[in-house]
Amino acid sequence: MPNFIFKLVRTLRRTTFSILACTAVATVSVDAQTAEIPRTQDGKPDMNGIWQALGNAHWDIEPHAARAALQMQPGPVVPVPAKPVLAFGAVGSVPSGVGIVVGGEIPYLPEARAKKIENQENWSERDPEIKCYLPGVPRATYMPFPFQIFQSSSHFFITYEYAGALRNIYMEDPGPAQVDSWMGQSVGHWEGDAFIAEGSGFNDQTWFDRAGNHHSASMTVVERYTMTSPDHILYEATIEDPETFSRPWMIRMPLYRHVNEDARLGQFKCVEFVEELMYGQLRKNPIGPGEKK
Amino acid sequence: MNISYTTLISVVLLMITSSGFSSYVKAQVRAQADGQWVMPRTADGRPDLQGNWTNATITPIQRSRDQDAVYNPEEATRLEGGRAARTEALNQPSDPDRVAPPVGGDGSTGAAGGVGGYNYFWIDAGDRVAMFNGELRTSLIIDPADGRYPSRTDASRQRMAEASQFRRQFGQYDNPENRPLAERCIVSFGSNAGPPMLPNYFYNNNYTIVQTADHIMIMTEMVHDVRIIRMGTPKPLPEHVKPWFGDSWGHWEGDTLVVETTNFSPTQLNQGQLSGATENLKISERFTRADEYTLNYEFTVDDPETWTDTWSGEVPFTRLSGLVYEYACHEANYALFNVLSGARAQEQREGGRQTPER
Amino acid sequence: MRKNQTILAVMGLATVVTVVPLMAHHAFGAEFDRDAPIRLQGPVVKLEWVNPHAWIHLEITKEDGTNEVWMVEGGTPNTLLRRGLRRDCLTPGTEIIVDGYQTKDHSLARANGRDVTFTDGTKIFLGSSGTGAPYEAEMLATRQEQGRC
Repeated sequence: MPNFIFKLVRTLRRTTFSILACTAVATVSVDAQTAEIPRTQDGKPDMNGIWQALGNAHWDIEPHAARAALQMQPGPVVPVPAKPVLAFGAVGSVPSGVGIVVGGEIPYLPEARAKKIENQENWSERDPEIKCYLPGVPRATYMPFPFQIFQSSSHFFITYEYAGALRNIYMEDPGPAQVDSWMGQSVGHWEGDAFIAEGSGFNDQTWFDRAGNHHSASMTVVERYTMTSPDHILYEATIEDPETFSRPWMIRMPLYRHVNEDARLGQFKCVEFVEELMYGQLRKNPIGPGEKK
Repeated sequence: MNISYTTLISVVLLMITSSGFSSYVKAQVRAQADGQWVMPRTADGRPDLQGNWTNATITPIQRSRDQDAVYNPEEATRLEGGRAARTEALNQPSDPDRVAPPVGGDGSTGAAGGVGGYNYFWIDAGDRVAMFNGELRTSLIIDPADGRYPSRTDASRQRMAEASQFRRQFGQYDNPENRPLAERCIVSFGSNAGPPMLPNYFYNNNYTIVQTADHIMIMTEMVHDVRIIRMGTPKPLPEHVKPWFGDSWGHWEGDTLVVETTNFSPTQLNQGQLSGATENLKISERFTRADEYTLNYEFTVDDPETWTDTWSGEVPFTRLSGLVYEYACHEANYALFNVLSGARAQEQREGGRQTPER
Repeated sequence: MRKNQTILAVMGLATVVTVVPLMAHHAFGAEFDRDAPIRLQGPVVKLEWVNPHAWIHLEITKEDGTNEVWMVEGGTPNTLLRRGLRRDCLTPGTEIIVDGYQTKDHSLARANGRDVTFTDGTKIFLGSSGTGAPYEAEMLATRQEQGRC
């Protein structure tokens, strides 16, 4: 073959290859999100790692403006922070948030809504977070602390930095929980690339946030974890509780991976931190003014 | 008819699949189809250590003096039978016309505290002597050779004395901080979570292990304690960062998981077997799946400034039949409240400082 | 009781455990008053299947005819859950007998569940030796017929 034809063919080959390569890259970048998701050896999206929610859901899961404090008292002109929270100043102020409730409002039954208001009015005595109680589901997901997912072919286990909370999401249903617990009992399965966890057996002691949003022991929670990119999970949870709400409702928010190389889950074993609060008045010599029992 | 081996296994698997068994059990049956146990493996070829395990046993941590390292079968049977007999005895009905127990206590000793504790059916202390590699062990400690803790250094005794002196300035019920960590619901009884992971001889001696390519997670039932073991070359924490349960790094040596832990929390070191240890304490552990139902656990405790020798133990972890349940603890810790309020009430009655009871 | 004592004497067993965690030495003795024994009988009104101790609430009628609710301390429910504890095992309304000692804080109507039984004397739950002993299966079958666990 004459030399120039040889070169032409070679050039054509290279050009074709380049065009194909560009197309391939273009194709990949359009489907980048799906194509790049890391997968475990059994083909599932690999959610192993350390994750955390951003935003202000832990203050209040409904859309809300900033306010002075979590607990208020009447003031001469406007309500002011109540005594238990006064000393925190702006550290104790509530930032604004768009909320994570789909549709914006939690569909409380009338009595339950009244209880929510009561919870807010008595926040410092009632919020289980203050006493370092286990946060329950879904609050554990969006506490301002990371959590770590351990996912194998036989297990899906989440350990939360906050208060050492944890959930072993069973891949096989052991039957209904026979006692209620703080973190409930969850059974998981895959629907395509989404991991579904169905939780029940919750006690009625946990809140959804610091804004007094509550539930009964009849609550069930169905969570959906969908990896939308290697470093993002879309988290959705449907809450159903006919004793508290007029219909099921949903929350939705992204979860973000801790991408720094030395990321590791810390410990926030806060039980020690609240002993003075909870037992201080029972000391042999209580600190400062206070009633001896 | 000559059924091929492959066909047989396929049929068995089909039956199992259609009967809804878990994939985990499937793997076990597949492994045993030829009658010989085969190590179950994760997708990356490592031994599969996952699932629920228990280290409950009659065998104590430390041997009695001059005791053999191994029970003969009759001794072990007698011990286990004694435990079973006690259970049977305590299952018998009580007298429905019984009166209140005596003023001054019912004479019960040890844990029952003179008030009789609570019914034995709440206890699950273990029914079996520890069998490790076929031997009926008289202690979990196997080195030193006498199965007992090695001697402590003078420096370690000094540290313990100082700690004791610090504690003595308080009555043991003066403050919540004067109570044991387990009573405060901060960590599990004794060395349940460890390391080393030892039974507590009461109940809930259960663990869940989850294994991924680069982590091993070990959850202890009490008090939902979690140890996260990072696999690979250790990137140690700064010296002053000392988490509960220390900082653990693991690697595989053949089919054995080897875990090295450093950076122990000083508060955790101030109680139990590790009392008086220094920040140079290193604990290594080895996990080897011995058979379908057994995980062999070995540990070595090393701190030359505390013990004159390293000490090691071997503990069989066996498959737990049942779930590991939530042990929330702090959330309903009436007991701590009762202990503190009781001490204050007694002081008021007696008009003075409460004498510690022994 | 005599039978129990005989068996224990023959076996030469004093205590269940050979190694007692530090906390256990004092917790019961610190919480409850040896000089304040009680015997309570009445219907269960509430069950708290919680850790570190389960609490059974029962209502008693005092000498003056008024009612009072007492809380009785048990052990960890986790042990019982692994032995088949169900929500309907011990329901409110069931009458029980408790003997034990009141908390040192006498302002609290709380006691240790030293021995908690039904009114026929049978224990509210059975311990298990884990050996699958025949007597256990028999006892359990009889109890299940009675609607007990």
